[in-house]
Parts: sequence; structure tokens; C-alpha cells
Amino acid sequence: MDTVVVSSTSLYTSAVRQFRLVIAAVRGLTAFTLITFGTLYTKVGRSQQVIRPLVHDQVYRAGVKLLPIVCFLGLALGMVLVGQIVSMLQQVGAEKFIGQLLVTVVIRELAPLVAGLVVLARVGTASVIELGTARALGEIEALEALGIDPIHYLVVPRVIGFTVAVSGLTVYFLLLALASGYAFAFVRGLPLSLQEYFDHIAAALTLADFPLLAIKTALFGAMTGLVICYQGLAQPLRLEDIGGATTRTVAMCVVGCLCLDALFVPIYLLV
Amino acid sequence: MNAPVVIEMEGVAVVSPRNPELPLLEPVDWRVEEGECWVVAGLHGSGKTSLLHTAAGLQTVPRGQLRVFGEPVPLAAGEALTLLRRRVGVVFEGEGRLFPTLTVLENVVLPLRYHLDLSLAAAAAEVAPLMAEFHLDRLASFFPGRIGHAWTRRVALARALALRPALLLLDNPMEGLDPTHLRWWRDFLGALHRGHAWLHGQPQTLVITTDDLRPLLNVGDHFALSAGHQWRIIGDRAEVLASTQRDVRELLGESE
Repeated sequence: MDTVVVSSTSLYTSAVRQFRLVIAAVRGLTAFTLITFGTLYTKVGRSQQVIRPLVHDQVYRAGVKLLPIVCFLGLALGMVLVGQIVSMLQQVGAEKFIGQLLVTVVIRELAPLVAGLVVLARVGTASVIELGTARALGEIEALEALGIDPIHYLVVPRVIGFTVAVSGLTVYFLLLALASGYAFAFVRGLPLSLQEYFDHIAAALTLADFPLLAIKTALFGAMTGLVICYQGLAQPLRLEDIGGATTRTVAMCVVGCLCLDALFVPIYLLV
Repeated sequence: MNAPVVIEMEGVAVVSPRNPELPLLEPVDWRVEEGECWVVAGLHGSGKTSLLHTAAGLQTVPRGQLRVFGEPVPLAAGEALTLLRRRVGVVFEGEGRLFPTLTVLENVVLPLRYHLDLSLAAAAAEVAPLMAEFHLDRLASFFPGRIGHAWTRRVALARALALRPALLLLDNPMEGLDPTHLRWWRDFLGALHRGHAWLHGQPQTLVITTDDLRPLLNVGDHFALSAGHQWRIIGDRAEVLASTQRDVRELLGESE
């Protein structure tokens, strides 16, 4: 009986501690976000000869270089997911739902999530290690000693780069997923012309979908960039702490993306 | 008439960066006037690095008064702190904390490019005399990890001088150098102190930390000691040589 009481007490204590850690992380991330946007606003147009190439580097690294893998995922997921959805709806005579289902599943939900997670997995984790190592080896202090604002030099290019990258990759992903989905269904002998297929999708799309998709992908990208920089830079790290910071980044980004995603559900239900 | 005061510390507590509760030197009462060259000697762990970081505004001061160029060091990031940091050059210990993803030239010109918004070519032209004098022109396209530590330290010095600072803080720059590099550093720091063409002939105010006083005896004109959590001003070169303090004799390379 005593053991049960002790274990439930320690479970409660552990849950409270975890909750406090989550609150502290959210508070820290919020402060870091405000500082970053403050820097972005006050230093816009400053040191362009240095900052602009850094932004280009981040767009190239998180966007252009990830284009092949995102195209592959678009083609593969398009075949297995879109192709099957289209075939099944056709079999049960529910063709009129094809457009609505694909807009909801692929355009509104899957594409931004896949693009965000690919950027996080391929570039985000490496960035935490880079920034954490720079912090642990005193390079951030070296920047400060030179009068260079680390937020302006390291964070702003990443946040802009990741925002542009996730937005761009989402568009490539969804176009390829929709195209390969139709190709798969066509190969299976689906009696649906390409014109009809895209007519279904166009009819299900609303005008609000375009700005909402742009905002959603920009938020996913900016949040990924902010979490990465927060975990890598905002707290003193030793080299041995970097592994933990990387796993925390992945967890925070995935949970953050899903929370942001949930915020869009009521908006989509209204439009 | 007294020269303007560059660094002024009154009862300052210099603390460990990892543990701000742990004072390494306290109290520090110190005045550095324009054009002076101070050598701060002490063994490893005596608080020399933290003292330099405190003077550079990189570490907070929990107790005491610190003024740099007559002004208290701003606590929050902003224009005032940026302007102060542009006037203070820091050469960090060891490999100089260069940025490993930038080449030697990009490291040297980074502060110029950031603060003056110059292109790489324009900034490279600006620092060309410095690069030539430091014999770094042939290493310009190398990354710091590909050159020896004696050369990375020169890169760190060139980077710290790029903005022509009014105060230069060097953390143990002579450590582990061979006689050729040691001579170059001694000659160059002496030339900076007397007035170098890079600084338009203005004598540079210098603070140099060291764990071996011998190479700097002819460079510094004021000497201080950090040992056993205590800050002690020794005096000039003659007073160093005449000192009978055990710590000073040890830093002069004399064994008991």
C-alpha cells in the first residue's frame, strides 16, 4: 500500500515538475520571439552586406537543397495516399468528395506538416548543434565583443530562411502529391479525366485557402527557426548539453507545429 | 595634465562566468589611462580572463563601480553598448575564438563589414595593409581550422584591430609561441603602444594578461598581479624586477 502511495506521489511530483519545465520553456521562447522580432524591426536594412548573404545561405540550405527529398516525398505520398483516396472514393461513387478531401488532407494539413518536419529533421537539428557548439566554445561572446548582435547575425537569417523554405517546399510538395496521386489513379484505370480531377480540387478550394496556407507555412517555418535558435543560443550550454538540446528542439517543434495546426482548424471550418 | 581615464574600477568584484556567486578577484581598484600599456600577470585560474571580460563589458559586475571611457558599462543591449564595444578590441585566449565557417579574411573583415556595411572586396582593401604586415595575405582564403594556432592568434589580433579600437585587451597572447612568433608579437605590441600607422600614429591603450612576465617586460609600462583572489599593482618594470614577492618571482620564471 505504501509503495502505491509513494509511487503515485512521485508521479505527481514528476508531472508537476514537467509542467513547470514546459511553462518555463514557453515563457522563455515567447521572450526570445519578442526579442527576435524586435531586432528584426529595429535593424531592418542594417548591415545588408553581411545579413543578406546569410539569409540566402539559409534559404539555399533549408529550401533549395531539400527540394529533391521533398519532391520524392511528394511523389511517394501522392501515390500511396492521394491515389488510394481517389480510387476508393471512385469505387463507392463518392467522386464529388474528391476535391474537398484532397484540399483538406493534402493542401491544408499534410503539405505544411511534411515540409516543416523535413526542414526540422534535415537542417534544424544540424543548426541546433552548430549554434550550441558556437555557444559552448564562446563564439557568441566573440560576436558580442565585436559589437555584433548575435540575434541579428545568427537568428534573423535562420528565421527568415526557414520561413521562406517551408513556404516554398510546401508548394512543391502539394503540387507533386496531387499530380502523382492522379497518375497513380490513372494507371489503375480510374475513369476520371485530368480536367475533372483538377476541377474537383479547384471547386473545393476557397479564396481564403491561399493566404491561410501562406500564413500557416510561414508560421511553421518561423516557429521552427525560433525554437532551434532558442535551444541553441538562449541558454549557456556545455558541449555535453548539445545532444539534449537537439532532442528538446525536435519535441518542441513537433508539438508547436501541431498546436499551430490546431489553431487553424476553427478558421478552416468557418471558410 | 592627466590623460583621460580609459578603464576605472572601484571595489569591483570580478566573478567566475560559470558561477557569478564566486568572486575571483575582489576588490579591484584600477585606473588605466589613455596610451598606457598594462601587463596583468597571474597563474591559470587567477581571474585574469574574467578581469578582461569584465573590462570589455562581457561580464556583469555584481559589486563595485566600473567605468569605461568615463561611462558606466550599459547593462542592456543597445546602441550605447554597441558603440562601447566598437571602441574596445578583445583578443581571446587560445585560438582566439575565430568563426570556423568563415575564412581568415572573412573573420578579419567581419566587424568592418557589419558596422560599416561594406562589401567583402571593399573591406578586404581596407585591411590589406594589416593583412600584409601580419603575413596573413597568403592565408586569406584558408579556414581557421587549417592553419596553426600561432597564426589563428594573429588573425584574432587583426580582427580585433580592424575597427581601430581605442582600447585593446589581449588575453595571454604570448602563450605557447615559438621564439619567431614571440618576437613578432613583442615588436608589434611595442609598435602599437608607441603609435602605429594603422592607428594613425596614436599610441594604443593596451591591457595584456600573461602567465609569464619575461616576454612582456620590455612591452608594458605598468604591471599588476592577480593571485590568491587579490589584486595588486606592482608598478613599472624596475619595480617588477626588484620585487621580492614570491608570486612575481614565480611569474618571472624563477624557481624556489
